[in-house]
Amino acid sequence: MTVFTCQDSFESILCGVYDAWMSRLGHDQVRLELEGTESLELFARYQEVREEAWKSARVSEAVQKKAGRQVYEQIYRASLSREPEKADRIYRYLIEAFRWGRRVEDRLADPAVYELFRMNRQVEREAHHLIEFLRFSRTESGILYGTIGPVHDVAVLLAPHFADRLGGENWVIYDAGRRKAVVHRADGPWFLVQDADGSLEQALKGGEETDAESWEGLWRIFHRHISIAERENPACQKTHLPLRYRPYMTEFQRRRPEREGKEAKDDHGV
Amino acid sequence: MLIQESLGIGEKLAILADAAKYDVACTSSGADRRGRSGALGNAVPAGLCHSFSADGRCISLLKILFTNQCVYDCRYCVNRRSNDVPRTSFTPDEVCTLTMEFYRRNYIEGLFLSSGVLVSPDYTMDLLYQTLWKLRNRYRFNGYIHIKAIPGADPELIRRTGLLADRMSVNLELPTAEGLRQLAPSKTMERILAPMRQIQTGIREGQLVPWREGRRFVPAGQSTQMIVGATPENDYQILTAAEGLYRQYELKRVFYSAFVRVNDDSLLPALPQGPPLLREHRLYQADWLLRFYGFQASELLTPDQPNFSALMDPKCSWALRHMERFPVEVNRAEYQELLRVPGIGVKSARRIAAARRSAVLDFPDLKKMGVVLKRAVYFITCRGKTMYPISMDADFIARQLLGEERRRQWEIGEKDVFRQLSLFDDGMLGPVGKAPGGRREIHDSLYLPGLF
Repeated sequence: MTVFTCQDSFESILCGVYDAWMSRLGHDQVRLELEGTESLELFARYQEVREEAWKSARVSEAVQKKAGRQVYEQIYRASLSREPEKADRIYRYLIEAFRWGRRVEDRLADPAVYELFRMNRQVEREAHHLIEFLRFSRTESGILYGTIGPVHDVAVLLAPHFADRLGGENWVIYDAGRRKAVVHRADGPWFLVQDADGSLEQALKGGEETDAESWEGLWRIFHRHISIAERENPACQKTHLPLRYRPYMTEFQRRRPEREGKEAKDDHGV
Repeated sequence: MLIQESLGIGEKLAILADAAKYDVACTSSGADRRGRSGALGNAVPAGLCHSFSADGRCISLLKILFTNQCVYDCRYCVNRRSNDVPRTSFTPDEVCTLTMEFYRRNYIEGLFLSSGVLVSPDYTMDLLYQTLWKLRNRYRFNGYIHIKAIPGADPELIRRTGLLADRMSVNLELPTAEGLRQLAPSKTMERILAPMRQIQTGIREGQLVPWREGRRFVPAGQSTQMIVGATPENDYQILTAAEGLYRQYELKRVFYSAFVRVNDDSLLPALPQGPPLLREHRLYQADWLLRFYGFQASELLTPDQPNFSALMDPKCSWALRHMERFPVEVNRAEYQELLRVPGIGVKSARRIAAARRSAVLDFPDLKKMGVVLKRAVYFITCRGKTMYPISMDADFIARQLLGEERRRQWEIGEKDVFRQLSLFDDGMLGPVGKAPGGRREIHDSLYLPGLF
């Protein structure tokens, strides 16, 4: 068994696929692993994948040509999954994809296909949830700033949606767990930024308390008043809006003291 | 009537969200519009739910009334003229800023604007039109807008408003003309159906002309809603009314709203059990069967059997009455047949149809495709075999299914879910009323250990 170890990135995984495939050892004799995720195995040869742009380019071209754009997007999303086995799963899936072409997607009864389908679905679902549940605050300088804490590395999947929707705004989506951000300039492109030392976060957090205060208060008022008391159903709410998203959501954050009094008054008035 | 003149926007928002919350529709689907430079927002065809309120309902749009002042005195409505509640009204600019600022922060998908009838239908419709015009043209809002058409308003006003909105709806209020006469004496079925027809015609005409930016009439279609449980109509009447609306008025959605007794009125039913939530749930299940599963109202209910079972969902009930059509062989059955199997939904039926081209499917494969096996298992075979030795007897299967369905019913109908469950598990609960099921049947289900 030869184990090809790659980094946790789409490009590196594609290079791993290239190396493993081109080693001509046979698919049963090779395995892909993310570096540092599994304990070493006795009697296996370990080979580090050298990341080179031409390798990943050749694999991605081949995938798109033989299996189509959709399969390519699937493996891209799967590469954002949290699961450490994802590199090998992408490899196994691509074996099938090169064999069956775009029909591979329908072969759900095949374990190699199902595993990728499942990872892809998880990532897609979380990205979709965050497109809905992400909350922006406006900083003093007018930047919309939203923090997320996703399980999978989905920040990059949110970007196209918000670039289209809020094209004329400066906004930042900050993945607090991975310390990376998607930054979008008004009427410009968006790009990914690594924020290893947390300086970006500091810079943005400082200026958060502005007019957002009042809009956030208004949103909490709305959120509370739109619910029908006779129908209260926290279990149902939890199914649709899992608890793990809530710490980042305006309507579930604790109100600040000075608003508290005012809103309490609202309640009496109604 | 207490009209508040000097309220802050927070107080107005509280009052006018409270006044709007009994309106059900909060979907933002059906429109597909890219962002535009110089404007804020786009529209996503599938719609997005931005939050969920404590009652578990989706919050997609900023759902507010323009004003809760109303000249009508509909008995079921919290905003009826004779109610002594604080009254207030937004200004168009307030509605616009709220929408823009909420949208920018990703709180909402757009605006759902409705209103009590102030002065006259024309006057109110004009206010709504002015607001939308400002929001679209002055504030450059490009997101989703759902607007109510006020019955009795000038068709020209409705036409112009429809050109600014994505979705329009006219509330049917109650499923029959008789119900309306009783509870909403100032509204008539004719007056409600007229704008509905107008919107339908407008949408059709709009689809014929080539699309031009911002000029399409109600691109996300029309919807309506009716109150369930305020008047004595049965489920059959309600579902037939809904089916008629889908067929004759080409509505995108019909919403059902379990009646909440907000007013103390002798003509309204007392609801000691709370709003008829389970009934509402059954109607939605049946509504889905009409729209996506190829069912007809007459298949699900008949004049002799006019109400849905409290214990079993409409699809299971239908399947148990048609055991001659089951079991269905998953590897060969037509797509339409698969759709009719309890536990198989649109997505899983599609996946099955695709996957079986390349492999012979077995039960574990079905599970991966999202089939709910605990229901489907009684109605399907894989390679000619059922998953367990099962007697194809409707009564037996009904008892098996009830074990699961009873729990779900509790979750919807009762609050103290978990306490009830533990009682049930201890076998301490006797039969509920005259409903089938009970302790003996619980023991029967032990024939299939591990199924539930």
